[in-house]
Amino acid sequence: MNNVKRSILIFNVLYLLQYPIESYGDRIKDKMYEDIPSSSACFRKLNGTHQIGCSSTRGGSTGVIHFCDTEKDLEDILANGTGYPYIPILDYGLFNPTILDTMISSDKVNGLILYTNEDNPVKNLTHEHPCPNPYSSIEGTCKKESPWNPWGTGLLYKDIPFPIFYVDSEKDMELIRSCFEKFNNFSYSEQIDRSLCSLELKSFMFATTNTPTCIRRSNIVSNLNPQKFCDPLGNQNIWASLQPLAEGPKKNETKPLKGYKYIIVTAKLDTTSLFEKTSGASSPATGIVTLLTLAKYLNDTIMMDDVRNAKKNVLFFLFNGETYDYIGSQRMVYDMIRGNFPLENADNLDVLPVIKPADVQLLIEISQLGNAKGKFYVHHLKENENINKFLDYMKNYTTPDTYESVPNSLPPASLHTFLKNIPDFPGILITDHKTTYSNHFYNSIYDNSGNIKFKYYNLTEDSKNDELLPKESIQYFIKNVTETLGKSIYQEITGKAYNGKINADTVLIDELLHCYLEDANCKVHQAIRRDIKLPKIPLSLYVSVKGSDNIASNLAGLTLGWLTGNSVGPGNINCTNTPRAYAFRFYNMSKSLRELNVSVCYQVTMNATDAVSPAFSIKDYDWTSGQYSSWTESTWKEINVRLFLRPSANQGKITMAIGCITMAFSFMLVFFLKSKSSVLFAPLLPTESPADC
Amino acid sequence: MDLSKVPNEKKLHLCKTYFKIGFFLLPFVWLVNAIWFFNDAFKKPAFDEQKLIKKYVISSAIGSSIWFVVLLSWVITFQLNRSNWGEFADYISFIIPFGTP
Repeated sequence: MNNVKRSILIFNVLYLLQYPIESYGDRIKDKMYEDIPSSSACFRKLNGTHQIGCSSTRGGSTGVIHFCDTEKDLEDILANGTGYPYIPILDYGLFNPTILDTMISSDKVNGLILYTNEDNPVKNLTHEHPCPNPYSSIEGTCKKESPWNPWGTGLLYKDIPFPIFYVDSEKDMELIRSCFEKFNNFSYSEQIDRSLCSLELKSFMFATTNTPTCIRRSNIVSNLNPQKFCDPLGNQNIWASLQPLAEGPKKNETKPLKGYKYIIVTAKLDTTSLFEKTSGASSPATGIVTLLTLAKYLNDTIMMDDVRNAKKNVLFFLFNGETYDYIGSQRMVYDMIRGNFPLENADNLDVLPVIKPADVQLLIEISQLGNAKGKFYVHHLKENENINKFLDYMKNYTTPDTYESVPNSLPPASLHTFLKNIPDFPGILITDHKTTYSNHFYNSIYDNSGNIKFKYYNLTEDSKNDELLPKESIQYFIKNVTETLGKSIYQEITGKAYNGKINADTVLIDELLHCYLEDANCKVHQAIRRDIKLPKIPLSLYVSVKGSDNIASNLAGLTLGWLTGNSVGPGNINCTNTPRAYAFRFYNMSKSLRELNVSVCYQVTMNATDAVSPAFSIKDYDWTSGQYSSWTESTWKEINVRLFLRPSANQGKITMAIGCITMAFSFMLVFFLKSKSSVLFAPLLPTESPADC
Repeated sequence: MDLSKVPNEKKLHLCKTYFKIGFFLLPFVWLVNAIWFFNDAFKKPAFDEQKLIKKYVISSAIGSSIWFVVLLSWVITFQLNRSNWGEFADYISFIIPFGTP
């Protein structure tokens, strides 16, 4: 019996002992907080002259939460509440410049939380300028009285003095709301006497003032703690040619095909929003998808012989960073004019032909196509022989119900950059609007699949796709635009009207839209990267900073390569490992969407060039000139949101008082002990005087 | 070092040395000198070297206060004008604070 008792005791002791072993070192000061993981921060960006976006104070801004269902709720709490500083919680649909000004001028607001109230859908929400990219677009193309983006508030470009976060998950909002109801949501005038539910918003930004300041500070080496304050926005432009730009199979023996003219098809690759999180259905996903589908369509219809006979090839460009003063296209034009495209110093390397703006016969830019009513518009700024010829071709493949030409007009687009540098550059813009954006959520997180009414049909090859797809679906519209453009480009190159039977691939359109809007781990991405496992959410389409890994643009590049590439044999390790011609890249990819598991070796013309503004490489660049994009993103250490209970003012005072009393008392005690030390601590041994030191 | 056990002529020597060292842009040495020998210069009963020690202590105190005033006015000027001076201020800074203009 004794033994049993003893072993139980030992077991109990061991059981108690494992507590310290299992602990993970959570500090007590962190245990009073509840993390809000689905929050997404507004952060600071800078240009040549200004800073925009948000920043918290060093160490985080805190405030008492208050749910505001109307603007009046906010005004009431700011006027009558005694628990300030506050962090109001607003439906994103309510957020506008007026309400922001109310908060800033009250001086009682330390931060802001935005969320989506499903019961209260908004008709339009865009914080972009009414004239997007106002300083880098051609003057006079955006009229003040009828701007392209009339709902634009311009809040994206405002310097906001407190942090703002968007909370995505309903679970997190439920947690915040229940805390609010329990502690805060009654007798506001006596809030000061209670413990209150509060939030801590941490998004302290390192850079301030403007780009030249933060770049200079990042580069000072005499500094004791060398630290990066900001990074240039930018990434990579993706390009590919329909047929190879060089001939010859073996390494070192490829010769560039010189003296060609080019038809360039472009789309932009990025979007932005007030927060880290982005959507981007109409802009840029519909443009990217149309370009990719067109690439496949042309790859199926136009053969190498057609290209060689006509001495005309097609290039596809996906420009990155266009949202921020056309970073990608500015760099492309800069490189092209200097003979640095497709490769730096291309003329001397003699691997690929130098392509200069003068070699471009026509540039076709595909812009937003998500909110059309069955009709697309072709904008062009100046009359030009090449443009008129192409518009005539397009007329043959359309009806007046589906197509309209809009002369002397150009919505914000990469084409502005080309026209600014080369005034008679031949370019057209394909889009879904005539005078104002039909997309009411331009550059906002609400430009999602719902905005373009996308429904994933999961089409398969042999089913009757055209019957399954409603005529008013986005897939069907993109198919029409692709075929019109494809047939016109076919006629431009071959000189013959297209009378073949090939249609644009609706399965591909359906899958691509699914990729960009719903699930990054979709069939197309599985086809191009056999090894990749992505989350079941759309990829971020924010341009991000120079040198960072942008998964979305890498995958878009591989997709473009896959759709324009040629199969050169079975897929195996030799495909990527054997040294081959410099002019190409080689990848193992799936044979098609229907045969995902059949691997084929693709010879791909796709490549990437830097999409970083020339301003960052020009020595002594004048940042105030506005010639090139000067956007940078501030660096930061941590971004997070935590919920906690702020004790009442009385409790705080009591704690402080007890602390002070304890300290005073301990001083007195020590003083007493010291003065009576001879009595309290009688010396054990007689002390000897120490030697002289 | 316990000053009470040091002979007077050594005190004078120490005080003089500290005073001289202070000229190498070391105001804190002057400050230490002034405080350390304050008792010997003013509080102790008169002794031979006291007059000289007093001279060095007063000079050190004056020197360090001039330094203090100069440094303080520089720090105030610099902190108030750092953001206005822009480039120049950044180049003479060892540590640039985060998130401040």
